[in-house]
Amino acid sequence: MANYFNTLPLREQLAELGKCRFMHLDEFEDGVEALKGKKMVVIGCGAQGLNQGLNLRDSGLDVSYTLRAAAIEEKRQSWKNATENGFTVGTYEELLPTADVVLNLTPDKQHTNVVETVMPMMKEGACLSYSHGFNIVEEGMQVRDDITVIMVAPKCPGSEVRAEYVRGFGVPTLIAVHEDNDPNGEGLALAKAYAVGTGGHKAGVLMSSFIAEVKSDLMGEQTILCGMLQTGSLLCFDKMVEEGVDPAYASKLIQYGWETVTEALKYGGVTNMMDRLSNPAKIRAFDLSEQMKDIMRPLYRKHQDDIMTGRFSETMMADWANDDAELLGWRADTAETPFEKTPAGDMEIAEQEYFDNGILMVAMVKAGVELAFETMTAAGIIADSAYYESLHETPLIANTIARKKLYEMNATISDTAEYGCYLYNHACVPLLADFMKPIKSDVIGKGLELDDTGVDNARLIEVNEAIRSHPVEAIGAELRGYMADMKRIV
Amino acid sequence: MPSGAISLDGLSVDFDGRFELVDITWTINPGEHWLIVGANGSGKSALAAVLAGEGSSISGTISGVPERVCLVSYERQAELIEAERRKDDADILDVISEGTPAAEIIADASHDHDLAQELVDSLGLRPLMGRAFRKLSTGETRKVMLIRALTRNPELLVLDAPFDGLDNKSLGWLQAHLAQLAATVPMVLVLNRFDECPDFITHVAYIDDGRLLETVARDDARAMAELGKLLHLQTTDLEVPAADPSAELPPLDPGEPLVCLTGATIRYQDNTVFENLDWTIEPNQHWQLSGPNGSGKTSLLALITGDHPQCYVNDIKVFGFQRGSGESIWQIKQYMGYVSTALQWEYRVGTGLRNVIISGFFDSIGLYSKSTDVQKALADEWLALLGMSHRADEPFNSLSHGDQRLVLIARAMVKHPPLLILDEPCLGLDDINRQLVLALIERICASGKTAVLYVNHRPQDRIPGIEEHLQLDA
Ligand SMILES: NC(=O)c1ccc[n+]([C@@H]2O[C@H](COP(=O)([O-])OP(=O)(O)OC[C@H]3O[C@@H](n4cnc5c(N)ncnc54)[C@H](OP(=O)(O)O)[C@@H]3O)[C@@H](O)[C@H]2O)c1
Ligand SMILES: [Mg+2]
Repeated sequence: MANYFNTLPLREQLAELGKCRFMHLDEFEDGVEALKGKKMVVIGCGAQGLNQGLNLRDSGLDVSYTLRAAAIEEKRQSWKNATENGFTVGTYEELLPTADVVLNLTPDKQHTNVVETVMPMMKEGACLSYSHGFNIVEEGMQVRDDITVIMVAPKCPGSEVRAEYVRGFGVPTLIAVHEDNDPNGEGLALAKAYAVGTGGHKAGVLMSSFIAEVKSDLMGEQTILCGMLQTGSLLCFDKMVEEGVDPAYASKLIQYGWETVTEALKYGGVTNMMDRLSNPAKIRAFDLSEQMKDIMRPLYRKHQDDIMTGRFSETMMADWANDDAELLGWRADTAETPFEKTPAGDMEIAEQEYFDNGILMVAMVKAGVELAFETMTAAGIIADSAYYESLHETPLIANTIARKKLYEMNATISDTAEYGCYLYNHACVPLLADFMKPIKSDVIGKGLELDDTGVDNARLIEVNEAIRSHPVEAIGAELRGYMADMKRIV
Repeated sequence: MPSGAISLDGLSVDFDGRFELVDITWTINPGEHWLIVGANGSGKSALAAVLAGEGSSISGTISGVPERVCLVSYERQAELIEAERRKDDADILDVISEGTPAAEIIADASHDHDLAQELVDSLGLRPLMGRAFRKLSTGETRKVMLIRALTRNPELLVLDAPFDGLDNKSLGWLQAHLAQLAATVPMVLVLNRFDECPDFITHVAYIDDGRLLETVARDDARAMAELGKLLHLQTTDLEVPAADPSAELPPLDPGEPLVCLTGATIRYQDNTVFENLDWTIEPNQHWQLSGPNGSGKTSLLALITGDHPQCYVNDIKVFGFQRGSGESIWQIKQYMGYVSTALQWEYRVGTGLRNVIISGFFDSIGLYSKSTDVQKALADEWLALLGMSHRADEPFNSLSHGDQRLVLIARAMVKHPPLLILDEPCLGLDDINRQLVLALIERICASGKTAVLYVNHRPQDRIPGIEEHLQLDA
């Protein structure tokens, strides 16, 4: 199998990358009708499998689970997940031949193996769905011509997919139809109904392509979403300890700080996050982020380039073939870092203090979000998509660090994201070494502690203007506006 | 107990078989001035009257009551007017009696005549002194009663609704006079309106159904505020707001049960929560479900609400839907209101109160849909009923635990669902807040077409109007 993206002519590559449209609520008026009465069989009952299935069933759809034989025999966690929740569980042979829609929700690295096994058992004209396009785009999986191939990808961890549905809402979701596999032209109708079944339509659906989803998803998760937060956590912690800040305090400031400062992104983008700082602190954060952007720009470009050329997926697949040796090694290394090993103290840190004492963290978020967005859009990914894969998802990932630090983040995200995150981190830590040398506790740990908080008018206007006029802010305001139209009241 | 305290200990008192005070334990220490509050018919006047020696004691003791207790109340006023009328009836002369003049009624009772004259002037009674007492208006006879009481050198002054029917001028004067008197004379007041509570009052007693449920020190602002809300809810004339006429639920078959469980079972790998349970809830039937912790009450409810995944492997019919037949969870939820502590935990949002109530129309936590003007108006009516009109835009998560519970009950009821499920609605609430929640539920039970399913682990926490009972065992 060859990298599918690389087989396309440039013209089509660009067209696919540029596919992304925010769908309006009235496009979902048919609800789940297209899936009503159809037999939906989920392969795998992990984070996405279980939670999507619970939502689909609660939306009135017929959902059952098929697991590999060993999982059933050994009554593994996936078997327990499905049976304790009252689902029918069966072997491939039992369930696949009658399935109308097969939802492949196994880990990405198993996709080739899984799809090759199940495809011969699927009935003529059935539908195969994914929640991530890696297998199709990067591995070039060839699916039987009579089978419709779609993607419904919630832009959130599985637990959120369920929690938001139960609240009567949903999570933003990306849908796509694999053009080469839409024999009956029903792919879009099925994908829309599936998105409704998971509640995604209430939070906003992007109609995109497999290619745009993969190339933007990989870029976002490797850089700003996971990579930058991991690198930032390690560097900021070590710096604070070096500067004599109480390690327990430093640990807490970082663990909960990402969540707190990025929460501000949800409400009003980078502008709002920066506005939470005092004027002098804002100018400092701005200057730091400009410096870091210059230093890190080549790294962001390299990640995007490696993703586009398929070099990244090749590297990672080599590790898959090597029993994940690198991944597991890097995971173990992360567990041994001082930040991971120092428990957060039980001191009170007020919400504003996370901003005031975390100026460098704010600067890192700003630099990462803007660079990822700039790099993605420069590579032909449309702004809407780039926004979701950078700014929008950052607070969601930051929440996982607040729960149990980097361990939790890396456990929650996919192995693919985790692998890319470590790659980024290994390159970025040394890259920022010189930048970090002169950094003092005034921008990380203690705050500026200025007697005079005055600033130069002209300089402040210049900085505000630069923050506000970044292109991620315009598209962000527009997309958050759609959400507000749906009266999401956080 | 300091000497000079008035003390009621386990006192039960009968009032001519019409009313009973039950097991009252209460101490009024020297220097304290009490306000008694409660809903109509709660027994607040009876409690005041007991201090003046009325009623016949059934059990318990009362001690330390001074000799001269002066009581002003509607009952006393009515008795005096009745006595005057009887005097007339007894009169066999064929002269038409004018009745006893007001001046005489006052003079008969007063010890301090100078003060009496001063009060007559201050309360504007002078021109009426020659008129027959029973010819006076209610407000005027009330003033006469007050003057009688205030001029007897009382050692304890018990005033039941003294401010009712007074014109503003007299009211102002009387309040000032009482405030002055408070320095020397202990007072017990009964008031219908909490906001009329004079500054000198140091303690508040709350009575309901003949029982003294709560005593609150005046300086406990939080408890005072809660008591104020409770009284509001019990005494307001506001009705439970109507359903939204423009958004009627798809009608249910009136002959069908709301809920029908057949052989319901919840089982996990290693334990069975309950098994083979049959249960039918008919329309308009109020149920109490009780059982110890761990008996599966909440799981059973979750089978009905659809929040328990095993609802799909049980034989359950709710609102005409056989579960697992292609219905969506939102089709089920539209017919139910639901309140529980778990929901309250989930509902950790900064949404304003009005929107929290409106979210009940959509069965959502938070509000994600555009609401209509009618829905907003109904939500505001609910806030008025709860006495929270001025707080419509306050964030939900800034509310006290008890207030959150009240708002969630309003949210559950706003669409007038055929079934309202209240899972331990009083859990974690202090006494006043429990009273508040129960008062609201009682109003809802009485208000319409909603079947109430009330769950608690204390079978003695009963709500009037709930007749059916299902007990789960551990
Ligand atoms: N996690 C996220 O945040 C997220 C977000 C959006 C999209 N996605 C996508 O959703 C998909 C599923 O990811 P996930 O995070 O839900 O995975 P996961 O939690 O790791 O669950 C994977 C499930 O697949 C089963 N499985 C593993 N290897 C298998 C094999 N060889 N054959 C058959 N079944 C196998 C596992 O069960 P047994 O090992 O017991 O058989 C398990 O139940 C991926 O495509 C991912 O990219 C994930
Ligand atoms: Mg992603």
